[in-house]
Amino acid sequence: MMQALDKTTLNAPTEATVSGMSMKLLLRDAGIGIALLLLIVFFSLSTEHFLTSNNISNILTQITINLILAIGMTFVILIGGIDLSVGSMLAFCAVVAGTVLTIPELSVFQAVGLATLAAIGTGVVCGFLNGWISAFWGLPSFIVTLGMLNIARGAALQVTDARTIYSFPPSFNAFGSQMVVGVPVVFLIALVLVAVAWFVLSKTVFGRLLYGIGNNEEAVRLAGHSLMFYKVAAFTIAGALVGIAAMIYMARLNIASPIIGIGFELNAIAAVIIGGTSLNGGRGTVVGTLLGACIIGVLANGLILFGLSDFMRQMITGVVIILAVIIDKYRERITAS
Amino acid sequence: MKFFTAASIIALSVAAALPPAAVAADKPVVGLVMKSLANDFFKNMLEGAEAHEKKRGDYELKAIGMQNETDFESQLNGVENFITQGVDAIVIAPADSRAMVTPLKKAMDAGITVVNFDVSLDEQAKKDAGIDLAFVGPDNRGGAKMVGEALAKSLGAGGKVVILEGNPGADNAAQRKLGFEDAIAEGKLDLLDSRTAHWETEEANSVFSTMLTAHPDIQGVMAANDSMAIGVIKALDVAGRSDIKVVGFDNVPAVAPLVKDGKLLATVDQFGSQMAADAIDKALEVVAGGPKLEGWVKTNIELVTKDNVK
Repeated sequence: MMQALDKTTLNAPTEATVSGMSMKLLLRDAGIGIALLLLIVFFSLSTEHFLTSNNISNILTQITINLILAIGMTFVILIGGIDLSVGSMLAFCAVVAGTVLTIPELSVFQAVGLATLAAIGTGVVCGFLNGWISAFWGLPSFIVTLGMLNIARGAALQVTDARTIYSFPPSFNAFGSQMVVGVPVVFLIALVLVAVAWFVLSKTVFGRLLYGIGNNEEAVRLAGHSLMFYKVAAFTIAGALVGIAAMIYMARLNIASPIIGIGFELNAIAAVIIGGTSLNGGRGTVVGTLLGACIIGVLANGLILFGLSDFMRQMITGVVIILAVIIDKYRERITAS
Repeated sequence: MKFFTAASIIALSVAAALPPAAVAADKPVVGLVMKSLANDFFKNMLEGAEAHEKKRGDYELKAIGMQNETDFESQLNGVENFITQGVDAIVIAPADSRAMVTPLKKAMDAGITVVNFDVSLDEQAKKDAGIDLAFVGPDNRGGAKMVGEALAKSLGAGGKVVILEGNPGADNAAQRKLGFEDAIAEGKLDLLDSRTAHWETEEANSVFSTMLTAHPDIQGVMAANDSMAIGVIKALDVAGRSDIKVVGFDNVPAVAPLVKDGKLLATVDQFGSQMAADAIDKALEVVAGGPKLEGWVKTNIELVTKDNVK
């Protein structure tokens, strides 16, 4: 079935074009990497504490949750979709998992295991529904996930009766701040997820077809592939990642509240877009998303160290998002020629 | 399509049925407008009001809330719905101290008794609209000063502190910041930095970690609510800085263990569960023909430390 892909009707890369494509993608990512590097150099020179091991591990901890959400968002945006529900889903996953985690009868090992399953399971169900409803009725994911944004938030409030869950097992809590040679373990988890996502997106037929759907949905369908399967898969992956992010949130902050994560979807989308993924789908890499999340994290941290006011900080973050899209326009022209 | 038609017919008939029902009831109807039903503080407040309704038994309570604390629009709609329903009194915790003045004036013009609690409406905005409205609520500035003084006492003069503020533009956030600044001035503390974390745990954790990097000599933290204090305390755990003292505000259940083991030096209880009930009592007095409320009816606040935490 996969051999049925026809290069002329389908814009997705086949074996012959993959290496050329990777080269171009590499160049795109290099541009974002240079922007990140410039920021790092600027803050290192202009502030006293930016380039210290403590501060670097702080930044890595601070970007972890956004990065994990942004990996999932990359899958969704690559197929030309959008997921506005991840912030609410984070809260829903967290309170479901938090409820499991605080069952007194369970040992720490059982509680953490079951809670992780519960968090990922909740995310998978929500993500599946997002994908299936959009694909089955041919609805824009913007609207479907806007609905899910409300459903998941309402469900989180309903499950907890709007109360905060706290007092998790101390060893679980300690895990959230564990370091390996100055690198937060939670960030390493995110890095592993980036690597897996990179492999899936660039080295498997499944991943290449996601790009194909973003480029030319009709062609993929005509080539005999089930659009439904790939669309549902992209949203479900995003949901599973929200579940993982929820566990990390809880380990880091030792609470699960139904009101956490408001607006997190916007930060995740910003990381993906700054990372060079096209909102129209079909173009972008998860490495770009990693760099995009780093840029947001470095800006948030560096501007505080720089002593800029909160309001100026917010304005600059906005400017960076718009700049990223403008730069992307030019990059598109260059890579197209 | 059929579904939507059916749904809108039901919605219309419900809307049409509501006003006469409210007017026909012989008990006075109190419309309670909350800021948000999505956090512990307002949840307790609503439960306190519901318990109060059962206990008094001589009025009917209708409560509405919003999805988050900055959702002015649903609060506005809520007030307008109560006006249409012809309730006897509206008891409101305004989401915005200026935006809510106009709809409340409309309610007062319609003969409804309005009591403002939790967050005070802006004096100038009230003057501009030509209304005189009493406020039933805690002294946020006084409470913040109280908890700030507890920190000042523990640090001594010259102690270096930072503030984590609530939402910029929110009146209680502004009042609490002023109270912290009062305590800083009186206790001769040294304010190193003051930033918002929008009342949020995760943001407070990130913002405070960065502040600590910029100012490793911080000795004390004043957080404008307990959710942010929780994020600060986690950051201190990670940094291994048990020497830094933290104070919060609200006394939410999640901080009780932190107060007990000394990680949170102090917080302020505003008795949120009683606040709405107190305001309802005041409203019913006026509805029953009592004198008009005036000025600021202050509600109880209390400093919570290791010694009196429950």
